[in-house]
Amino acid sequence: MAHVVSPPNVGHADAAIAVARSLEDVEVGDRIVRHTLATRLMHWLVGTSFILSFLTGMPIWTPIFGWMAALFGGLQVCRWLHPFLGVLFSVGLLWMAASWWSQMVMSGRDMEWLSPAYFAKYLRFESTDPETGKYNGGQKALFWIALLGGVALFLSGLVLWFPGVFPQALREVSWILHDVAFIAFFLLIIGHVYLAIADPGTFESMVDGTVSKPWARLHHPRWYRDVTGEQRK
Amino acid sequence: MPIQGLEVLQSSASLRGQNTGLRVLAKVSKYIDTSTCIGCKACEVACQEWNDLPVVPTQQVGTYQTLPTLQADFWNLIRFNEQEFEGGLAWLMRKDQCMHCADPGCLAACPAPGAIVQYANGIVDVNAENCIGCGLCETGCPFDVPRFSAKTGKMSKCTLCVDRVDSGLEPACIKACPTGCLHFGTKEDMVELGHARVKQLQANGFANAMLYDPPGVGGTGVVTVLAHGDKPELYGLPKDPRVPLSVTFSKRILKPLGIFAIGATLVGLFTHYVRTGPKKPHDDNPPRTGG
Repeated sequence: MAHVVSPPNVGHADAAIAVARSLEDVEVGDRIVRHTLATRLMHWLVGTSFILSFLTGMPIWTPIFGWMAALFGGLQVCRWLHPFLGVLFSVGLLWMAASWWSQMVMSGRDMEWLSPAYFAKYLRFESTDPETGKYNGGQKALFWIALLGGVALFLSGLVLWFPGVFPQALREVSWILHDVAFIAFFLLIIGHVYLAIADPGTFESMVDGTVSKPWARLHHPRWYRDVTGEQRK
Repeated sequence: MPIQGLEVLQSSASLRGQNTGLRVLAKVSKYIDTSTCIGCKACEVACQEWNDLPVVPTQQVGTYQTLPTLQADFWNLIRFNEQEFEGGLAWLMRKDQCMHCADPGCLAACPAPGAIVQYANGIVDVNAENCIGCGLCETGCPFDVPRFSAKTGKMSKCTLCVDRVDSGLEPACIKACPTGCLHFGTKEDMVELGHARVKQLQANGFANAMLYDPPGVGGTGVVTVLAHGDKPELYGLPKDPRVPLSVTFSKRILKPLGIFAIGATLVGLFTHYVRTGPKKPHDDNPPRTGG
């Protein structure tokens, strides 16, 4: 699917950015478009609603993070706002599921990516699998875990939102589930944000939608070859 | 609003939430003798009056009971239970209200600093101005007492008339009781009174009579004489009330574990960054054109 788009006359200073509004997986000049505008907006909805849910939820979780409540005008506001932000987050996750479901189906090779040995290599920057496509095994796994965690957070959050409506046993289970799902989810998100910020060139793909060719060759070699039509060396 | 002259012993969601009091106060307690309660409900009326609570429309539940359960604007309810025993019928009545536990589940569960406090004299009270109305105290209470008020968006319950007690008066319900089945005093005195009455009941043929002061919650600020002490459920009381395991597990295990895991992950990734560095593409980006 070699796909080269010649810089269109769009009246934009950067042709790649202009193309990235509606197309992805295409080469424009020295850039490759990785995410369309719609995908980026979807991901920013998920990200910002999560961060706001985090900031309003942490002070309710423990007084150690009580200072976060000041950002919103106090704990009362947090208790009122947090559930609505959670709903927004869930909407974002639904959109994410609809956008990425088919692209995130995991192959056997993706499962190998998750093996402790390969993951350790990945962290040492020694992973050299030339068959890594647009999303690696870790990204795909994160997608499924995020959806699962989102379902757990939404359902348990619903019970915690309206405690008077639900029986005692369900409220207790939901309390624990909300805690556990949050902790697990947040640990993964810390890693996700770290990789996005610490790997140069990655964050840009969520801002203007484009990445450099060397970045694509390094992180997602098969995807790079598919997009550029370059042969495997 | 903290009561003048009463120090806070424990406060919800506070880092130094325990043993902050300097003054030495005796723990207080209500004494309820279910065996001499006549179900007149004078205590219900006194509670509504003293606390400026509205006239609540009664509901027919098939007995003389005023309402099916406690409400945000009804903190003191006589529960009626007609119980058949071998050789006859027993009409069991119990005054239901906040038990003012020494180890309050509501306070443990509450995430809002200072919304639930335990005063040095043992009274457990809700500070409406700090309450965020989340309802977690309902989940934490083994006696199903705290109630969310849709009107105020806050929780409410019996205060043990902390405003009266602080001024040296007995709670309104105690004041109104015509049979003397209710008393108020130090916990020590009330327990002594209870044991004396239990002995009397046992001598009168109630072999299972007992004083209900459950140790699972550290004892309560309401001690209750039960003629059928082997079956507190007949009076609507749990046999062995405890702070729910989920509350303890969440607060004592998950919270510290979660905070540690988050901190460790942050430290680990920072170390990774300074040790392994950013994952740079081999050839640097050519400069972007335009702009």
